[in-house]
Amino acid sequence: MLSINQDIFEIIQAKFSSSEVVRCIHLNVSLFTELSNEEYRILALVTKKSNSALFLFFCKKPNPIHLSDLFIETVIPIDENFECFSDTILGEDKYLLFIVKYRNFILEFRIKTGLESSNFASEIIKCKERSLYENCDHRWLFKYSDVKSPLDCTENKSQSPDIPFVRQNMAQNQNAINRESMLKYQLKLKEPEFTQYQEFTIFTGTWNVNGQLPSISLKPWLSCDTEPPDLYAVGFQEIDLSKEAFLFNDTPREAEWEKMVLEGVHPNAKYRTVALTRLVGIQLIVLINIKHYQHIKNVAVDTVGTGLLGKMGNKGGVAVRLDLHNTSLCFVNSHLAAHVEEFERRNQDYKDINARINFRRHPTAIKDHDQIYWLGDLNYRITELTTSQVKTLLLRNEMATLLKADQLNQQKERGNVLLDYNELDITFPPTYKYDLNSDTFDTSEKARPPAWTDRILYRGKGIYQQKYRSHMELRISDHKPVSALFKSEISVINQAKYRKVHEELLKRMDKLENEFLPQVTVDQTEIKFDLVRFREPQFRDIIIANTGQVPAEFEFIKKLDEQSYCKEWLRITPYCGTVNPGEKCDIRLEVNLETDLVELDDILVLHLNGGKDMFIIVTGKGQRSSFTTSMRALCRMSKPIMTLDDEQYRKIIALDGEVLYSVPRELWLLVDHLYTHGLTVKDLFESNSTQDSFIRLRDWLDFGSTEPISVSVETVAETLLIFLSYTKEPVIPSNLQNVAIAASSNYHNCKNIINEKLPDIHRNVFLYICMFLQELLRHSSENGYDAKTLASLFGEILLRDPIRNSKPQASRGKSNFIYNFLVNDLSTSIIPIK
Amino acid sequence: MEHTEPHSTEPEMANRQGAAQRPNGAQGKICQFKLVLLGESAVGKSSLVLRFVKGQFHEYQESTIGAAFLTQTVCLDDTTVKFEIWDTAGQERYHSLAPMYYRGAQAAIVVYDITNQDTFGRAKTWVKELQRQASPTIVIALAGNKQDLANKRMVEYEEAQTYAEENGLLFMETSAKTALNVNDIFLAIAKKLPKYDQNQGQSGQGQGRRLAEGDQGAKTPGNCCK
Repeated sequence: MLSINQDIFEIIQAKFSSSEVVRCIHLNVSLFTELSNEEYRILALVTKKSNSALFLFFCKKPNPIHLSDLFIETVIPIDENFECFSDTILGEDKYLLFIVKYRNFILEFRIKTGLESSNFASEIIKCKERSLYENCDHRWLFKYSDVKSPLDCTENKSQSPDIPFVRQNMAQNQNAINRESMLKYQLKLKEPEFTQYQEFTIFTGTWNVNGQLPSISLKPWLSCDTEPPDLYAVGFQEIDLSKEAFLFNDTPREAEWEKMVLEGVHPNAKYRTVALTRLVGIQLIVLINIKHYQHIKNVAVDTVGTGLLGKMGNKGGVAVRLDLHNTSLCFVNSHLAAHVEEFERRNQDYKDINARINFRRHPTAIKDHDQIYWLGDLNYRITELTTSQVKTLLLRNEMATLLKADQLNQQKERGNVLLDYNELDITFPPTYKYDLNSDTFDTSEKARPPAWTDRILYRGKGIYQQKYRSHMELRISDHKPVSALFKSEISVINQAKYRKVHEELLKRMDKLENEFLPQVTVDQTEIKFDLVRFREPQFRDIIIANTGQVPAEFEFIKKLDEQSYCKEWLRITPYCGTVNPGEKCDIRLEVNLETDLVELDDILVLHLNGGKDMFIIVTGKGQRSSFTTSMRALCRMSKPIMTLDDEQYRKIIALDGEVLYSVPRELWLLVDHLYTHGLTVKDLFESNSTQDSFIRLRDWLDFGSTEPISVSVETVAETLLIFLSYTKEPVIPSNLQNVAIAASSNYHNCKNIINEKLPDIHRNVFLYICMFLQELLRHSSENGYDAKTLASLFGEILLRDPIRNSKPQASRGKSNFIYNFLVNDLSTSIIPIK
Repeated sequence: MEHTEPHSTEPEMANRQGAAQRPNGAQGKICQFKLVLLGESAVGKSSLVLRFVKGQFHEYQESTIGAAFLTQTVCLDDTTVKFEIWDTAGQERYHSLAPMYYRGAQAAIVVYDITNQDTFGRAKTWVKELQRQASPTIVIALAGNKQDLANKRMVEYEEAQTYAEENGLLFMETSAKTALNVNDIFLAIAKKLPKYDQNQGQSGQGQGRRLAEGDQGAKTPGNCCK
C-alpha cells in the first residue's frame, strides 16, 4: 500500500513545478455532496516558499498511473480566510466529514478515519498557522485560475474588494474581465430578444450489432423517413467483441461502421461527420447536414468505462457534446450492465457515466446541456414473466402489461435512473433477443425472454419526438436497431437583433463605467507663493474632495522625463492616498528655497488611479540672498545684496565689475563677530539657534543695518556654517575635491592645490577660515575644540558634496585635508591680498 | 470559462484583451484603444467628448485643467472597439504635459475651431508634433469643430481637407452642439485602427488606466524632494 501511495505522490508532484512542493496527499477522498461515494479524488497540500494551498484532484481511476489520469478540480489557498474542521457522519464510524471553508466557499469531503487523515489534517493546520505570520502571496496560484477556486468565485463579488491578491493580479485588466463576464451574463439574460427557435429534425439510432461485420446496408434504418434529417446521432454497441478490441481499445470496425453509416444516410442531403467517439465496442457517430455545418461549435467527446472492475470499457458510455447555433446538445450512447437481475448495476452504471463524463470545457457535465439524447443498449429486461408469457402477451398485443414489467420503466418510475428523461410509448416489439438472420425470438436452450433492451430517451426543452420504432429488416445481429426521430427547437441568433442588444448593453456598461470612475475636485489649481526667502519655508494647503461614487486613489505622478513628481524646492505631503466618497483630504505643499532660483514654477499632475488627471500650477518668486550668491559676485558688492538695484545686481551676478573685497563682506562680518565674541565660547558650533534668529541675522546681512548684530554668538556661528554650506560653489570646488582628498596625506601637496588650483577668492576664503580656526584652536582650553573635531566639521562643509547628493563621500579624506591647514603654519601660504 | 491555454502571468498575456464570445460561438473581438484629443483651448475638445460619450452639450463648458478620462465603446461589423479617451487641457501653459497623453496613444483627434484661423494653425503644429513624437502608427483625425457657426467661418473646408489629405489624416467638420459628425469621426477612427487580437496599447506607456499600471517606470512614485 505504501509503495502505491509513493507512486501516486510522485505523479502528483510531477503535476507541479519544482518550487511547488507537495507536502502530503490524502487518497480516496469523495465529495460528501455527491450521490456516489466513489473515492476518486485526492487532496494534496502544496507549498511554494511560505505559501500553501490545498489542491483537489479528480482521478479517472482510483489509483492513477499516468499524469493524464489526474486533473486539478479545485484550488484553495491557505491563508487567514481558510478554515477546516471535521465532523462525524451519522451511522458511519469508519468515515468522517472533513470540511474546508474559504470565505463563502465550502467543500465537504468524506474521508476514512485513520492515521492518514489525522496526519493530513495536522499538516494543513501547520500551514494555516504559518500563513498567519507570513505575507501570503497567492500569485503562484493564478496559473490554475481556469479551475474552480474560491479566488474567482463570482458569486462572492460583493466581497472581492477585500481579497487583496485578486485585486493585485487584476490591476491591469480587472475591469476588462469583469466587463466581459458581465457582458456574457447580460447577453444570456437578453437572449430571448435576439434569438428565435428554428426546428431541426434529429435522427437518433442505436443498435447492438453483436460483434457482426458491417455487411449490410443501413439504409432501411437510417433513411427510412421521407425527409432527410438535419442531424444524425448513431450509436452502436458490441461492434467488436475481440480480446484485442477490449485490451487495446483499437478496432478496424470503427472505420468500417462509420463508412456504413455515411453510406446509409438519407440520399437527399449531404452529411459530414461532426464527431466520432468509441470505447471498445461502444461507438457514437454524429453527422450534420452539410448546410448546418458552420453553425456547429465547441464539439467535445468523452468516454467512461463501467465494465469489469467498474472501469473497463466492455460496458460504459460515450458522449458527444456540441453547440448547434445557440443550443447546447449532448448525445450519450451507453451499454449498461447485462443480465436480468443486474438492474441495480445498470442504475449505477448510468450514475457513473453521468458523474464521470467530463468534456473539459464549459459545460463539462452531461446534465448541463440544453438538450440531451440518451440512447443505447440499456439492457433493462422484462421481469416476472416467463419467455412464453411474454410471447403470448406480444401475440395478444398486450403492450401495456409488458411495459409495466419493463425494468427501465419500473426503475425510472422509482427515480433510480434517467430521472427527468422522456421516452415515447413503445409500439414496436422487443428488440432482443433474436436468432441471427431471422425475426424469431431466441430459440436456443437459454430461450431468454424478449426485452426492450435498446432504447432512446431525451431530456430538455423544445424536443418533440416524432417517431420511435425498431427496424426488423436488419437481421445480422441478435438485436434489432431502434431509431427515434425528433423535431427539436434550436435557438438561432438573429445577427441584426443580436448586434443591437449587444451594442445597447455595451453602451449601458460604458455609462456605468464612466459613472463609477473616480471623481475628485481640488479647491485650487493655481498655488501662488509669496516672495520665497532663503531657508524660510512656506506652506499652502489644497483640499481634495471626492465627489464621485467610488474611493479615489490619488497620486502625484512624474511628468515624462522627470526624476520626481515635483521640483526639488517643493514638498507634497501626502503625495498619494485614498479619499472615500464624500470625504476630503488636505494636501500640504511646502516650499523651501535653498538656491538662487528667482522664478519658481512647476505643474503638478494629480492622477486618479483609473481616472482623470488634474494639473496644479505652483508659482512663486525667490528673493535674492547673499547665502545663495557666488562668492566671486559677493566680493564685488559694495553694499548689502538687497540694497542693490536690479541693474547693479544683474551686472554683479554676471561678474561684471571690480573685485572689491578679498573675501565676501558677509563672511567677514560673521567671522569678525566670532573673532571678537566667540573664541572662548564652549561648543560654539553645536547649539541650535531658532529659525527666527537665523532669519534676523540673514536679513541683517542681506539688507544691511547700522545696528550691531543682535543675535547670540552661537547663532552667528551656525549661520557661518550655513553660509559656507550654501555658497553657490563649494569653497573647494567640486572638480578639485578628489585631487584634494588624494593629496590629504601630504601637506605640501595640499598647499599646492590651494595655491595653484583654487580661484583667488576661494583661496582667500579657505585660508581666512583656516586662520580663524587656528585662532579658535589657540583657545581650545576654553572652547573645548581640538583640530580633529574642527577638521571634520569644516571638511564636510568646505569640501561639501553637491547639494542633495545623498551619499557623502570620503569624509575622512576631507577632514584630513583640512587638518593639514589647522596644524601647520599658514604664514608661508598667504599671498598678499590686493 | 474558456478552456484554452493556461493562464500566464506574463504582463503581455495579462493584458491580453479577452475576446467576448458571442453566444453562437463566434468571436466578437473587443479591441481597446487609447485616444487623445489635442487642440487649442476653447475649440471644443471636451464638448466633442461629452457629446460622443454622454450625448450632451453644455454651452458653457468649463475649461479643462488636466486630462479628463472617459471610455466609450463603438461596435463595428466584426469587432467592438473600446476607446479610452484622454481629453487634454488646451492651454499653452500645459503644452509640455501633452506627451504624457499622446505617447502610447493609438489614435488622436486634433481639433480646431472653424471660426478661428489661429486654432487651425495650432492644429497643424499639433499634427506635426504627433508625426514627430507619437507612435508612428497613430491614427490622426482632424476635426473642424463648431460647424454650426459656419456663417462665421474663417477656415475654409477645402483648405482643411487639402491639408488633411496631404498629411494622411481623417478629416471631418463637426459640431458638438448639433452632434454633426461626432459619432462619425470616432467611428471612422475605429474603422481605420488596426485590430490585432492582442496587446492594444502595449507599444506606448500612456499613464492611463490599465495601460500604465504595469508599464515599466511610467508610474513609480516620484523621488521625494528631501
